[in-house]
Amino acid sequence: MTSTQKKDEIGDFSMNFGPAHPGSGNFGVKVQMQGERVLKATADPGYLHRGFEKLMEYREPMQNAVLSDRVCVLEPLQWNLVHAEAVDYLMNYDVPERAKYIRVILAELSRIQSHFIWYAVMSLGTGFMTGFNVSMGYRDYILDVFNLITGGRVYPAGYICPGGVRKDLPEKAENKILKLLPKIDYMRKFILKENPAWLARFKDVGVLSKEEAIKFGATGPVLRGSGVGADVRRDDPYEVYDELEFDIPVRDEGDGYARYCVGIQEIEESMKIITQAIDRLPKGEVRTPNLKPIVQFRKAKGEIYIRNELSRGEGAFYMVANGEKTPYRVKIRGPSFSHMIPILEYLLTGVDYADVPAIYWSLYQCPADVDR
Amino acid sequence: MFLQFIGAYTSALQMLIGEMMKMKLGIISEVFKNLFKRPMTVLFPEERIEIPERNRGEHKFDIDTCISCGSCAKICPNKAIKMVEAPPEFKEKYPKTYPQVDLGKCCFCALCEDICPKGSLTLTTYVFLATFDKDTTMRNPINVEQID
Ligand code: SF4
Ligand code: SF4
Repeated sequence: MTSTQKKDEIGDFSMNFGPAHPGSGNFGVKVQMQGERVLKATADPGYLHRGFEKLMEYREPMQNAVLSDRVCVLEPLQWNLVHAEAVDYLMNYDVPERAKYIRVILAELSRIQSHFIWYAVMSLGTGFMTGFNVSMGYRDYILDVFNLITGGRVYPAGYICPGGVRKDLPEKAENKILKLLPKIDYMRKFILKENPAWLARFKDVGVLSKEEAIKFGATGPVLRGSGVGADVRRDDPYEVYDELEFDIPVRDEGDGYARYCVGIQEIEESMKIITQAIDRLPKGEVRTPNLKPIVQFRKAKGEIYIRNELSRGEGAFYMVANGEKTPYRVKIRGPSFSHMIPILEYLLTGVDYADVPAIYWSLYQCPADVDR
Repeated sequence: MFLQFIGAYTSALQMLIGEMMKMKLGIISEVFKNLFKRPMTVLFPEERIEIPERNRGEHKFDIDTCISCGSCAKICPNKAIKMVEAPPEFKEKYPKTYPQVDLGKCCFCALCEDICPKGSLTLTTYVFLATFDKDTTMRNPINVEQID
């Protein structure tokens, strides 16, 4: 009676991958299974919804700068930057040159630590605990520097704020950052060591072709892993990126392995950017002169859509000001949304269940950013 | 039973060694290197990592310099600051209202520190604030117990 069940007799059933699951973050996917095979996957967002867009309509820009940390836990400084740029534009602030360089240095450090987390969760999702531990350990060195500069390990509390940055770099911060680079490089080389288990889990898994990547609106390493060399830092430069030299890594394969290779190469490019930026770091003010902690937002009128290259892809703020103390409307465009809903659903159709976490994490998403 | 367990254990070990042989030497050398490296963590209560001066921790309030302007209460994004009167026995000396911080609501953004015109409200590096009792999160402008 036991082992003679025929294949077509195995019943269909549905399962929940997440949202409260160690391998999924705070995001749920409902999968319909036939035996070991996924028939259909439906993304189930909303578990982490905090209503930031509405909340920002009730707060002043400085308070929103603090709030913008929380859009994505894993790259708060970069979200700070997008928000600050939107307010800078509406208020016509002339951001001092030194502040621009500090912003770039911190954004790139944030990109590196975010890529480390990516590697960590990809390892965790596929049962490679060593990768997770080592990567999170090395990420901590970067957090130490964040703590020194911004006063918080993970959350900078609006360190990159409208008009510049909240405080100048402390003494020896530049030295500390330069000392950090060899450690980052060590970790990068550790990741580069290929191990067969890793290759087996990610090679030819979750292949996203170029056309589909464009059709579904992929950005960042997911798009570049599918052979499209688009990067906002190059296509629509902000801050001082047009003065710095860096390459944009692109891979053609489009599988999970290619995406992560793009990420690793980006760490190297980010290190190049940081070295150049520290080299050229000018002296001077770090905030628009005479700017109080309260931004006089009543003076602002108009609307702006501003986009940045975050570690996960293109993140943007749309903000309308109509002469009130607070923004009239805020819309946040996060990179993870298009990765998590159309692309994930598409890629999960027809795969083995064991590949679900591998594909899920290789798409480089942040559940907090999907739900906002 | 015991033999079975040993058998399973050795076969697992064999598999593991086989897998390790297949891997490039990189990961293995990493393992051995880690035997001699200092651990990344510290033994917490005895040993602590240094907390930088900028770290945003518990508030420190100097009532003598405060001018009761209320800016800190206005800017606080979480409405964690409430302007309250001093306790009756101090009312003569401190007749105005002063900020009372609810650390349970505070997100440690330090906006109150930045805006304070007199530098009366500052954030210290003290971070060990976890508590089981919700009533202990309030920081009153005058700490009566401490003065007694
Ligand atoms: S640190 Fe921020 S949240 Fe805390 S009391 Fe001050 S302004 Fe409010
Ligand atoms: S602590 Fe500072 S900001 Fe707050 S009421 Fe006193 S002087 Fe004003």
